[in-house]
Amino acid sequence: MSSRRAAIVLGLALAAVAARAHAQPAAQGFAFERFYPAPSGAGWLVLDDLNIPSSVGGAIGLALSYEHDPLRISSGGTTLDVVSDKLFADIGGSFTYARWRFYLDFDTPFLITGDSGTVGGYAFTAPSVDPSSHPDPIEDIRVGVDRLVLGNPGDPLRVGGSAQLYIPNDSREDYTTDRDFRGMLRALVAGDIGRFTYAGELGMHIRPLDEAPAPGTPRGSELLFGIAGGARMPLACGTWSAVFGAELYGASAFRSLFESETTAFEGMVSTRLEQLAGEGRRLRIKLGLGVGIVPDFGAPEFRAVVAIDMFGEAR
Amino acid sequence: MTRAFAVAAALLLASARAYGQAAPPAPHEDAAFDFMNLLSDHGLHNLNDEDWNVYGQFTYITSFKVPFSAPYTNANGAPNSFSPDYERSFTGTFTLFFGVKLWKGAEAYVAPEVIAEHALSQLRGLGGATENFELQKTGTTTPAVYRSRLFLRQTFDLGGTTSIRVSDPLQLGGPVDSRRLVITAGNFSVIDVFDKNNVTWDPRQTFFDEAFMTHSSYDFPADARGYTYGVAAELYWDDWAVRLGRFLPPVEPNQQSNDFHFWERYGDSLEIEHDHTLLGQPGAVRLLGYRNHVLSGRFDDAIAAFEADPSKNAGDCPAGSYNYGSGDFNAPDLCWVRKPNVKLGIGLNAEQYVAKNVGLFLRAMYSDGQSEVDAFDSADSDLSFGAVAKGTLWGRPFDVTGIGMQVTAISKEHARYLAVGGIDNFVGDGALGRQRAEGVAEAFYSVNIAKAVWLAADFQLIWNPAYNGDRPGPIYIPAVKVHGEF
Repeated sequence: MSSRRAAIVLGLALAAVAARAHAQPAAQGFAFERFYPAPSGAGWLVLDDLNIPSSVGGAIGLALSYEHDPLRISSGGTTLDVVSDKLFADIGGSFTYARWRFYLDFDTPFLITGDSGTVGGYAFTAPSVDPSSHPDPIEDIRVGVDRLVLGNPGDPLRVGGSAQLYIPNDSREDYTTDRDFRGMLRALVAGDIGRFTYAGELGMHIRPLDEAPAPGTPRGSELLFGIAGGARMPLACGTWSAVFGAELYGASAFRSLFESETTAFEGMVSTRLEQLAGEGRRLRIKLGLGVGIVPDFGAPEFRAVVAIDMFGEAR
Repeated sequence: MTRAFAVAAALLLASARAYGQAAPPAPHEDAAFDFMNLLSDHGLHNLNDEDWNVYGQFTYITSFKVPFSAPYTNANGAPNSFSPDYERSFTGTFTLFFGVKLWKGAEAYVAPEVIAEHALSQLRGLGGATENFELQKTGTTTPAVYRSRLFLRQTFDLGGTTSIRVSDPLQLGGPVDSRRLVITAGNFSVIDVFDKNNVTWDPRQTFFDEAFMTHSSYDFPADARGYTYGVAAELYWDDWAVRLGRFLPPVEPNQQSNDFHFWERYGDSLEIEHDHTLLGQPGAVRLLGYRNHVLSGRFDDAIAAFEADPSKNAGDCPAGSYNYGSGDFNAPDLCWVRKPNVKLGIGLNAEQYVAKNVGLFLRAMYSDGQSEVDAFDSADSDLSFGAVAKGTLWGRPFDVTGIGMQVTAISKEHARYLAVGGIDNFVGDGALGRQRAEGVAEAFYSVNIAKAVWLAADFQLIWNPAYNGDRPGPIYIPAVKVHGEF
C-alpha cells in the first residue's frame, strides 16, 4: 500500500470514528402537556369544584390555551426549547346525574413548534404542527368519570373521586402522545364558605412511559396535586357572579419525587364569570394567566387560557 | 329514571362519528333514532331553537373485487394499474358532530372523526370510479382520530318567509329566513357547501362509489383526507341560491398539507342554484364552476420536457421532488414541470323527484384537463345519472334503494401523457393503446334493520379502469355496508 493510499484509509477511518463519536441517541416525543383542563361544567380551569348535581345535567365546553416554552430541557449547562410555543383548543362535553359526572374531551392543537438540537447527550427533534403542515391533529382523547361522595353542591365541604383514561392518538413526533394508554386517579375536595370557595386534588398519573435517562422526558407514573381558592362576588346586574382566585397545580414523577427536573409546578390566577342558577342554559366564562413556578417537566414559562362552558340541569 | 338513562346514553354514546373522504353532512334520516330527539321528547331540549346539538354516525363498508383478466399490469415500471387479482377493501368510520350557538346567527361546529381503511390496489388504477367514497389517501388499517371540521357559520337574515331549519349534523335547528346570507369560515370540506344533491343526499345512505358523491372531475381543493380551510358565502333568495368560496389547495398535489398562501394558490368555486316544483314534485338545478390556481404539472409540459431532455424522465425525478413513484426511465413525469397552473371546470347538477321519495339525479362536468389532479379524482369530464327511492311504495319506508351510472373521460393531453408511460396520482398503466371512457354502474339496497341501523348490499360493475381500452374488464365489485346514526 502506498503511503498516500494508507493516509487516505487512515483519514477515512478517523472520520468514521469521529462521526460515530458524535452520533447522539435520539429522544422521542411524548405527551408533555401539563394543563389538564377541568371537565366541562366544572368550575375552575384545572381543579374540580365538585358541584355535581343529583338531577340530570350536562355541559359542553371549549378552552383555548397558549403556552410559551412548555418544554425547556436543560442539562449540563445547555438549554433547549424543544417546544417553545403551543396553541390548542380543548373541546369536550359532560353529563351529570345522581352525583356522577361522565365526560369526554380532546385537545386539538393548532401550533406546536420549537427548536431541534442536542442536550444531555440526546438529540431532540422539535415538533412541527401548524394548520399548513398538519391540519387536523387530535391529541390523546380523555374519557373520565367523577363522583361526588360527600356533601352537596354549595356545601362547605365536598369530597369526591375521579378516574380518567387517556386513549392514545396522533404521533410521538408531534409531542402530543406517549402512544400508550394513560390513566389518572384523583381524590377531590372542594367547598364554599360564604364568599370563599376552594378546591383541591391529590392523585396519581399512571404512565407507563419511562424514557430515563434522556433529560426532560417522562419518568413513569407521577403524583398529581393541586389547590385552588378564591372569592365569589355577585355582580351588579344580579344574574351573574364573578370568582377571582388562583390555582396551583403540578405533577412529579414518583421515582424522583419533587426533584426539579422531574417536577412541574404551575400557578395560575383566574377569573370566571358565571350565570347564576336558573332554568335553561347557563354560561361560564373563564380567563386564566399562569406561570411555571417550577418551569420544567412540562410546566410553561407562561400560559394564557380562555374558556367557555355552556351548562344546565333539569329541575 | 328513564329520562336519565336516555340522557346518559345520549351523552355517553355521543362520545364517539367520522366522515371519510369528506362525505358531505347530510340531513338526518327522519326515522332515525337519535339522542337530540330523545332529549326533546323528554322536554330537555328544544329542536326548533337549538343552542347546541350533538350527532354521531358509524359506517363499515367492505368490498370484494372479483378477479378479471388483463393483458398487462403495471407495464414498464408504472405502479398505478388496478390489480386483476382478487382483493378485499374496507373502511370503518365513526364521527361526532358538535354544534353550538355563539350569538345571534353565529354557530360553531367541530367534528372529530375516526377512520380505518384498506383500499383496493392501494387506491390506484381507477379514474373516477373509486369503489368506496370513504377512502382517504392517508388512511391505514390502524384507526386514526383527527379533526375533520372546525368552523364558524354566521347567518344574516334578510327577510322573506320564515321557516324552521331542521336540526341535523352540522346544523342547529331554528328559524331562518328564506332570504339570508350565510358565511362559513374555517376547516371543512368544499362539498359541505357546494354541489349538494338531495336525491343522492348522503353517501352513507345511498351509493357506495365515490362517483355519486360529487362530480369526479370537480377537482375541489382538499388535503389528503378531503378537507381544507376556506371561506364560503351563500346568498339564499327564496328559490335561488348563489355560493362563492375560496379554499386552500394542498402544498403539493394530493398531499395532506395545506398551502396557506391563499392570495397565490387557491381554489375558487361559484355555484348558482334554483329550486323548483315540477308537476307537484320538488327539484333543483345547480350550475357550478371552479377555478384552481395551484402548484401542479401540465401533461404537455411533462412530455415536452422529456422529449427535449430524456434525462427528465419518471425514473429520475429530482431528489426531494414530489412524484408518484414510477420507475419508468423512458416516460415523462409531472415532477419536472410543476409550477402554478390554472385549472377550470364547469358542471351541471340536477335533481327531480317524480313521486314521493322517488328521485332522479344527473351530474355532468367538463374540466380543461390540461394539468394533473390536485386533490380529488383523475377525471377531466364526467356524466352520472340515476334514481334513488325509499321503500314507501312497498311498505318499508326507511329502506333505501338506488341505481346509477357514471362515465368519466380524460382530455387528449392527459391521454397522450398516459400513452407514453406517464402516471398521475391514481392512473397510468405504463401504456395506453386505446383510450376509452371509464364507467361504473351501481345498484344497492339498504335495509333498515333497526330504527337507526341500516344493512346494505351493493354491486358495482366497472369497465375500462384508468381509461384503458386494452384492460377493459369488466370488473365486478360486490359490497356490503352497516351504517348507524345517533
